[in-house]
Amino acid sequence: MLAQALPHAERRPGVRFVPTHERILAVLLLAETAVFCVIGRHFVSADNAFEIVRLSVEVGLLALAMTPVIVTGGIDLSVGSLIALSAVLFGKLFRDAGLPVGVAAVLTLGAGALAGLLNAALITGLRLPPLIVTLGSFSLFRGLAEGLTGGSDSFMCPKSFLFLGQGAQIPVFLVAAAGFWLLLHRSAIGRGLTAIGLSPEGARHAGIPVGRRVALVYVLSGVVASLSSLIYVSRYTQARADAGTGYELLAITAVVLGGTSIFGGRGRISGTLLGLFAIAILERGMKLADLGDQLAQILVGVLLLTALGANALLEKLSTRRAA
Amino acid sequence: MIRRYLREWSVAAATLTLLLLLALVKPQFFSGQNLRDILVTKAYILIAAIGMTMVILARQIDISIGSQFAICGVLASLLAKWGLPLSLMIVGTLGAGALLGALNGALVAGLRLPSIVVTLATMVSLEQGIRWITGGEPVRNAANFQWLGLGQTAGEIVVLATSAAVLAAFAAGLRWLRAGRAIYATGSDPEAARLAGIRPAGVVFGVFVLMGVFSALAALLNGIQSTQGDPTSGQGLGLQAIAAVVVGGTAISGGRGTLFGTFVGFILLAVIGPALVFLQVEASWEKAIQGTIILVAVASDAINLRQRRNVGASLAAR
Repeated sequence: MLAQALPHAERRPGVRFVPTHERILAVLLLAETAVFCVIGRHFVSADNAFEIVRLSVEVGLLALAMTPVIVTGGIDLSVGSLIALSAVLFGKLFRDAGLPVGVAAVLTLGAGALAGLLNAALITGLRLPPLIVTLGSFSLFRGLAEGLTGGSDSFMCPKSFLFLGQGAQIPVFLVAAAGFWLLLHRSAIGRGLTAIGLSPEGARHAGIPVGRRVALVYVLSGVVASLSSLIYVSRYTQARADAGTGYELLAITAVVLGGTSIFGGRGRISGTLLGLFAIAILERGMKLADLGDQLAQILVGVLLLTALGANALLEKLSTRRAA
Repeated sequence: MIRRYLREWSVAAATLTLLLLLALVKPQFFSGQNLRDILVTKAYILIAAIGMTMVILARQIDISIGSQFAICGVLASLLAKWGLPLSLMIVGTLGAGALLGALNGALVAGLRLPSIVVTLATMVSLEQGIRWITGGEPVRNAANFQWLGLGQTAGEIVVLATSAAVLAAFAAGLRWLRAGRAIYATGSDPEAARLAGIRPAGVVFGVFVLMGVFSALAALLNGIQSTQGDPTSGQGLGLQAIAAVVVGGTAISGGRGTLFGTFVGFILLAVIGPALVFLQVEASWEKAIQGTIILVAVASDAINLRQRRNVGASLAAR
């Protein structure tokens, strides 16, 4: 616990190079790129870079919003299912209710906020463990999506909305990344979230409104999942109740690979972005080198374990150095 | 007795109410054939949930069991195909499950890594690994593998009897055996358990190995009902098992819960789907109702606990 309470070791003067988690990850990212430059075809190109970012946006948005959730010591398993529910609601609103696409999109984001609020109410109001609450809503949201569509109905994305999946999502993603960075690292709220992750009781005594702050991160997580869903619908041009299956685990993988502690109290948006792109480049590179998606996924798992092990080791070292 | 198992009994009461309603509206639901079908096809979830109960009691979690299930299922089909005797096939499959569980156990207990992330990583790697090796192609089952060569009726009885025996044995073991109590002690407070002479790391390693064996057993009981070993099976099994455990009243923070509760939770979640079909509601609502059950179960837990605390506080104030 003590090791987590120590602020980032690289800020301490007099130490030339400390192998922090993020630096190691950045080196890994460069190494990956170098390897794929050699073995992959057409890996280094502006088009490819654009594709990597474009394909990472949906999971990336989830990972951005998941970072503050995990920093408070929580978790949100419901976001993948919420992508499906939002997609279905969006389809119902513009196709069946005949609303203008813009209005339908805004209402969908509102529904995402409500879904997040449901999680938040159960977690902060009844003090239930986030893992269990979001496991329940994981099933509930997916089930509502399946029930509303009878399990098979699919929606075509309206033509006027396709732009969001063809490149317009990248600025959206950049704005979201900047927003979450400001929230987590440059605002009093963000310091509060870290404090809550370290010790909820201590944070309460320090005058932080713990319930409201925790509620905020789950509501944000819901809104962002809905936003991610709109991009998903637009990119695939259609959506069914199985949209976003497993995305919650992909997002958590990116966050944890980025060095955020699953116990809370430590985590950075920059780490999450590095983790996200370390995975995205690996997947894309393996694909271009004809090595198959599965091998890439296997390596992601191994990478995650290595990162965890390395992290535990670094923590031990930094405690020793501090002592 | 009732006070002690209040949580379990309230889930049981909810389940019984549901079954009673069904009996009034659709008595056909209670044909022996229908009940047996439900129990036989879903027995593997119960088996996985038994292992998961012990993992959660020890304050850990394992979301990788779906991938263990897929690997052991394919392995069992292959071993039978290669002409191994059934007994060796069973031992081999359970052994493989134990090894996979030991991998998780070593990482969690040995390196002290958080179990949710470790099992997330092993899930991704193992799940994709088995698809990579098999190319995603299912393995056709040998003739003597299906129902263990006993024919369907006898095979179904084997599935039910095995599940019941395992449930009873482990319920008793958790209640009365030293090892069972060590799981509760470790989950309640690892440090106190250590001072009481229990090795928490050993207990944690043990429950993960057991979990692997249970995943393998689940794969066997499921595999013998089908004509092929499918490397893409088992997706979502982890969360299904956790749901049954949690609805059954086991605390996710460890140290509290029983296999009786898990059994009741399993029954409640298992009958929802078939019940919907009988009530002519679209089966696609099954997951939504299961999610609601999970949320209601844990929410009522919290409210109960708060009331009891309030009573305690007012007593203390006097």
